[in-house]
Amino acid sequence: MNLSTLNFAPAVPIPDHLVGEVQSKLAYVDERIASAQISPAGEQISIDLKQPVAESERSAIEEKVQRVVVSMAKGAIRPKVQVLEDYLDRSTPFVGDPMPELMQRGEIHREADGIYTLGPLLTRLIDWFERRFLDLADSFSAKPYRFPTLIPARYLERVGYFRAFPHSLSFATHLRSDLDQIDAFAEGAACDNHDNLNVPPERFAPIQTLLSPAVCYHLYFTLADQLLPPQGVVATAVGNCFRYESLNLNSLERLWNFTMREVIFVGAKEFVLENRELARQRMQRVFEEIGFAYRVESANDPFFIGEFRKQAAFQSAFQLKYEIRARLPFKDGTLAVGSYNYHQDFFGRHLNIQLPDGSAAHTGCVAFGLERIAFAFLAQFGFDANQWPLSMQEILQ
Amino acid sequence: MSENVSLNPLTRRIREALSLALQVPIEMISEDLAFGDLPQWDSMGHMEVMMRLEEFFGVEINADTIATLTNFTAIRQYLEDNHLGVNS
Repeated sequence: MNLSTLNFAPAVPIPDHLVGEVQSKLAYVDERIASAQISPAGEQISIDLKQPVAESERSAIEEKVQRVVVSMAKGAIRPKVQVLEDYLDRSTPFVGDPMPELMQRGEIHREADGIYTLGPLLTRLIDWFERRFLDLADSFSAKPYRFPTLIPARYLERVGYFRAFPHSLSFATHLRSDLDQIDAFAEGAACDNHDNLNVPPERFAPIQTLLSPAVCYHLYFTLADQLLPPQGVVATAVGNCFRYESLNLNSLERLWNFTMREVIFVGAKEFVLENRELARQRMQRVFEEIGFAYRVESANDPFFIGEFRKQAAFQSAFQLKYEIRARLPFKDGTLAVGSYNYHQDFFGRHLNIQLPDGSAAHTGCVAFGLERIAFAFLAQFGFDANQWPLSMQEILQ
Repeated sequence: MSENVSLNPLTRRIREALSLALQVPIEMISEDLAFGDLPQWDSMGHMEVMMRLEEFFGVEINADTIATLTNFTAIRQYLEDNHLGVNS
């Protein structure tokens, strides 16, 4: 018997539409898991462990896996898939995986799992897309904002983030303001062979701050307890975002630290929904101009297991989220590079953002993952400028 | 005589389901109640309502229907249209 693998059937059937979602959550089940796979039909789960473990421990791990499966799959409601645009079959000139060449060219440098530096090519590509996103923001006369990278824990608590996405949180702290603690840290702090900073937890101050997981939250808190102007608010900002994805952190497709550009709408329901739709139509023209292969389809956020079934079904039922999924020819798959989101009056009610008539404001945002869209572009068009859309060839000059 | 006794059985059962789902006293479940009227009937509360309706009436509610059952009247109409009474 191989004591470093586990193979078993799920406690309840995993519907095909949930196989990917459940598999991604298995990364958070136990630190001894090296990788987890669910067969495409959802009838078999395979777990590779980092090292062999005793039989009793294997049972404990399996039990935890089954908890995830039952929580997410039992009574799951099949989502209503709606495709708004489908250009996945557009012909694009490149079929390779850009990662090896990006590494070989020194265009990316991996600092840690999910943390990369980007070189001139990727930076210029991102700048090109940023200009298009800023054009989009300008078309709505969006006001520019700059938001901090840190966000108070109290803010995320107030909008239920801890329940919905506990697995992806990134915490920020500092040493306690105590000379003895600071001296002891300065004297002895070092990283061990596993890159762990070897410092007792009590040396750190209580956590009051996190690394921000999204850009638009900062605007909503800026508008909290305020009466909105009759014309609503349109804002745009770019910012660092942090979502820890454990074993799922993978190349530029899934970063821990990434950058998002958002155009944010706050106002009446019709105002938000109309602008979200207008934004989609305007971006459709941009993607058409460069021959980008993608699809816009309904989606849900990656809620954690306890919340997943209800929250995902709600998002699907009310068509709150659409993702821009770019084709990745090298893996015959797609990657979400942006999204069109509507939150109903969730933030308006929780943060007391009021419309002139006293009712709660509605919110929505259009968000683009800058590293992902540049990566997807390279995956479709490669590194030969002659193969690139004419309007983008200047990037390489 | 309590208020509940005077209601028809379906209405009473819906009130019970919503009361349990939203974790509020049954007196707060009026027949003109709608999504958003109570802080408890938010997105999470709505899905609790859907699951309680499934449990109470033995119905499987699909994604299309979830978006339409946003008030008491619509819920009652849906259950009546689908012949889902108190004995289901």
